[in-house]
Amino acid sequence: MRGKPAGAATLLTLTPAPPSPDRAAATQEERELVAAVLDRDRKAAARLVELHADTVYAYVRHRLAPRADLVDDVVQEVFLALWDNLAAFRGDSSMRAWVLGIARHKIEDFYRSQLRQPGALTEEDAGGQPEPPRDPSLDENLDSARLEEKTRRVLESLPQHYSLALLWRYWEGRSARDIAAHTGRSEKAVERLLARARAEFKRRWTDA
Amino acid sequence: MPERFFETLAAKTGAAPRRAPARLKARLYSALVARQAPLRSVSETADLCVFENLVRIAPVGERVKSLNFCRVCHARLLAETFEHPPIWWSNCPYARFGR
Repeated sequence: MRGKPAGAATLLTLTPAPPSPDRAAATQEERELVAAVLDRDRKAAARLVELHADTVYAYVRHRLAPRADLVDDVVQEVFLALWDNLAAFRGDSSMRAWVLGIARHKIEDFYRSQLRQPGALTEEDAGGQPEPPRDPSLDENLDSARLEEKTRRVLESLPQHYSLALLWRYWEGRSARDIAAHTGRSEKAVERLLARARAEFKRRWTDA
Repeated sequence: MPERFFETLAAKTGAAPRRAPARLKARLYSALVARQAPLRSVSETADLCVFENLVRIAPVGERVKSLNFCRVCHARLLAETFEHPPIWWSNCPYARFGR
């Protein structure tokens, strides 16, 4: 479990830290690059993408795994937010740490917005549905690539709010209370959503 | 224990590749320069590609020299579509993303 229950105000302390960000101040080279991008230098924009696309992609992909289909759009949102906020970059931290901070916020926003959408937690979830008594088996002979592929297919086939609820809960390691705090729903409603999502996932996993 | 299945599955399927696809880098660059427009004039920019160089020496005003020429360049389309686009000329960012 990486997260602890808390309110939205403590978002930053709840989220897992990006992979070993460099917390040192920005280098002169980074400051010059930022100045050039702000000066609308097209080649500097290309350099910015070259320098940080791999880092952001790996981070977002890790946080959204195995829903790889969602990654590109989130990465693009990170870069557009980067441009929108670039003038505020003071260089107290490295460019990499700053960019990863934006990525972390974007992913949190993404989960929140998807689970807050009308229909994500509705009356449909009020009754819950009994989960199958037995877990489907994880075929030990399935190699990791095929396991990943099957997981991705099943998650993609689920309604978006089921898929994201499972990702947030199990792949991100967030508690139901934490998810409830971030989506403005009751913990009970989140638990019911998760129960339905698990049941549906298991059904499709067995059928796949 | 309804959660054990998912905890095991999550532990087994979390690996992520380290490099962004070149197509995504091309898309990111296109989105960034579209936001930046009007761009700095090619007269004041280093490392120009062959087309930008042509515009730089052409008898046109600074307003034209600040346009985003990549928007109408086939290199952009190729790079956003193919992982290894057949673009060879120098100083094209889209060609660099594909290498």
